[in-house]
Amino acid sequence: MASVSMITRPQRWDAPFGPEMTDADIHRLTALPEFASIDADSFPKHTPLDGILRNDTRIVRYSPGDIVVREGDYGNSAFLVVSGNLRVVIAPALPRNLIGRQLSERKNIFQALAQLWTNRTVPEVRDTSRYGNQSVRSNNQSEADARVFLQDIPAVLDEHQTAQLGPSTLFGELAALGRVPRTATIFAEEEAELLEIRWQGLRELRKYDPTWRKTIDDRYRENALKVHLKSSSYFSGLSEEELNEVADATLFESHGSFEWHVSYKRMRDQGKADKEPIIAREGEYPDGLLMIRAGFARVSIKMGNGERTLTYLGAGDTFGYDELWAGHQGNDISLQTSLKAVGYVDLLRVPAPILGKYVFNKAGHHVTSPLHQLASHAVAQDAPLEWAVEQRFVNGTQAMLIDLNRCVRCDDCVRACASTHGGNPRFIRHGRTFDHWMVANACMHCADPVCMIGCPTGAVHRSLETGAVVINDDTCIGCGTCANSCPYNNIRLVEINDVAGKMVRDPDSQKPIMKATKCDLCETNPGGPSCVRACPHDALQRVTFQDDETFGATS
Amino acid sequence: MNAIATRYTLLWVGAVAGLVILGVYTHLANLQLERSEFITGYSLFALMIALALFNARKKLAMVPLIRSAYWLAIHVVGGAASVVLFFIHTGSIWPSGGYEQALALLFYLVSVSGIIGYAMQRINPRRLVQTDLEIIYERIPAELSEIREKAEAVILACTQETGSDTLARHYMETLSWYFRRPRFIYNNAFGGKAAEHWLRLQYRTVSRYLNDNEREYLDHINDLAEMKAKIDIHYACQGMMKGWLLVHLPLAAAVLGLMFWHVIVVNVYAL
Repeated sequence: MASVSMITRPQRWDAPFGPEMTDADIHRLTALPEFASIDADSFPKHTPLDGILRNDTRIVRYSPGDIVVREGDYGNSAFLVVSGNLRVVIAPALPRNLIGRQLSERKNIFQALAQLWTNRTVPEVRDTSRYGNQSVRSNNQSEADARVFLQDIPAVLDEHQTAQLGPSTLFGELAALGRVPRTATIFAEEEAELLEIRWQGLRELRKYDPTWRKTIDDRYRENALKVHLKSSSYFSGLSEEELNEVADATLFESHGSFEWHVSYKRMRDQGKADKEPIIAREGEYPDGLLMIRAGFARVSIKMGNGERTLTYLGAGDTFGYDELWAGHQGNDISLQTSLKAVGYVDLLRVPAPILGKYVFNKAGHHVTSPLHQLASHAVAQDAPLEWAVEQRFVNGTQAMLIDLNRCVRCDDCVRACASTHGGNPRFIRHGRTFDHWMVANACMHCADPVCMIGCPTGAVHRSLETGAVVINDDTCIGCGTCANSCPYNNIRLVEINDVAGKMVRDPDSQKPIMKATKCDLCETNPGGPSCVRACPHDALQRVTFQDDETFGATS
Repeated sequence: MNAIATRYTLLWVGAVAGLVILGVYTHLANLQLERSEFITGYSLFALMIALALFNARKKLAMVPLIRSAYWLAIHVVGGAASVVLFFIHTGSIWPSGGYEQALALLFYLVSVSGIIGYAMQRINPRRLVQTDLEIIYERIPAELSEIREKAEAVILACTQETGSDTLARHYMETLSWYFRRPRFIYNNAFGGKAAEHWLRLQYRTVSRYLNDNEREYLDHINDLAEMKAKIDIHYACQGMMKGWLLVHLPLAAAVLGLMFWHVIVVNVYAL
């Protein structure tokens, strides 16, 4: 006789960001100038302002020295200072040991070994008592209670250049919305109260309130410019005043769609290549240096009746330098290659006169671009690169690349994955192929993880410790948004079973409760991805496409 | 030299050095009329256990043991070394005594099956890549079923549209045999071209009786047949790569069993 257990179907905001938020808290927040000016009627009924404040924000209190965000961390939330003062570390960065990076809880060898007999015969077993009563956010809260703090604030202030952040300061929105790592460490200088807004809530505030939209966009633009210019080798030697002049003249541009995966999937299903908006066209006059801030862009050149990909550019790369340099030398030269957005691209355009003034006229700033050398490659040599860009695999930082010339199809990788994930593998040894290379259907832990867009509870997130994109099973409501968003079909929804092995159903609809699953790089298991370790033939590797010479890395 | 080549080179150097030491030791022991069999025997025993542990390591994928690729390298080099060590230990190719002969026979069989398996694993993946198709072995029956249904739908459409049953008759008489299940398994396993030849023959045989309209349907059937030919190659090659273990592992288990008993007997009666 078939038996089932019942739990209520999970809904958005079942797992609020701050479960302890009270009516008084909401009342107090709405009195803050940042929220008092908002027209609550501009929010839809299903996403009211007070609902966002109640469920997508939480009030966090920090003691002096407590670290709020750390440089390099991936974070999905922004912070608004309610009271107290914070300090942002500008330079030099705090050493790793001082900011006490937390280690993710890995199994020890005995716990890992115990999976041999604790794995159940029924796959995808969950302890359903976890759901509903408490959320991982509350667990995160408790982790935050044990947060790392700086013992000697005066010494830090003496040895590091810092800036003060006072009440009403919004920060962290760049990382939250741009899905990029935090760029600085911020700690509490005194007792401080912060409103932490997870990115889903920030997105809604930006979407429905014009003031928040302008504030976020202006800050986003300003921060992106400053941070990126400072990190560029072209401008790293400039004084603050010069940098400000460069920043003032620099244009901030976005090309392609923020949700590029939607059109990409549609076009791919039709067997066509996705449209790539042209950023700069071969033969046009170069009016400025293009600096990629986020996303990817394809550098191509006309060949016959088509376009040949020479390389692709990612964050930190530049385009048009050679032509601008030639122009500065008095040679009138047009762009030798085209630049197209592969998905979504954020870039900065530094005008040519500014470049001439601060880069070309200063010795030691001339950096030769290798792009002109790439056209001498044989066409066949660039074929894997062409394919990888076409398929958008360049987005992957931990793509599962299988050399089919070595793979004996033994499925040891699949079995290893299953044995480390409760009996069910987190990938399919199948995928798109080119020559003897296959990119299997395993999460690639993308540089631009579009699966995180639209997750109503923030269950899909970047691991603070490893940067891997992981799914928090406790807060996943099985809505399938991430699975639909993933351009590579690497996320699967699975029916779950309770600890007794019974299928878990929703009592109202009688439909099974689903959870999203995907490769987590064996984050909690010792030794790294078990698939790589299990492959006897060195056929399977996890690669960052940008670093792989087969696919056009120009190291 | 890449990492894989370096790994194997180091292991080969180690294995050869070990064998030379044991060989010299055996030679010197024999000159002094001493018994070297215990040292060589226990070395072989330890090596065989190490080789067998490779399979155990596969079952312990969740534990951070040494990468499986290193285990395979040790297994391959150690397996080859064990053959030489076996000769050093026994002093001949074919030992005397019924029990020892049975042990030797199984040892040779497991060694040969290992060599064949290794060769297969080096050759077959490249053959599979050359089909320009990738398919999971367990999905092959479903894929073949789908192709068969498509072929039958084409035949039905041809009959309905052209009013001719020539192609349908050929399908029923001959082609249905081909589409029913994987064919030319042994030929495909050894790299033959029998399926291609057979399909070309069938195409030519029936093509002369068809008009242009019917020939379009035949071309469609031929496309499906060629797709099935690729899947058949996967079925044969992947099947061999999976199947050889069903020979190698039981033989290895039998050798281990006999080896244990051999050690016990030697320790009880020869000491």
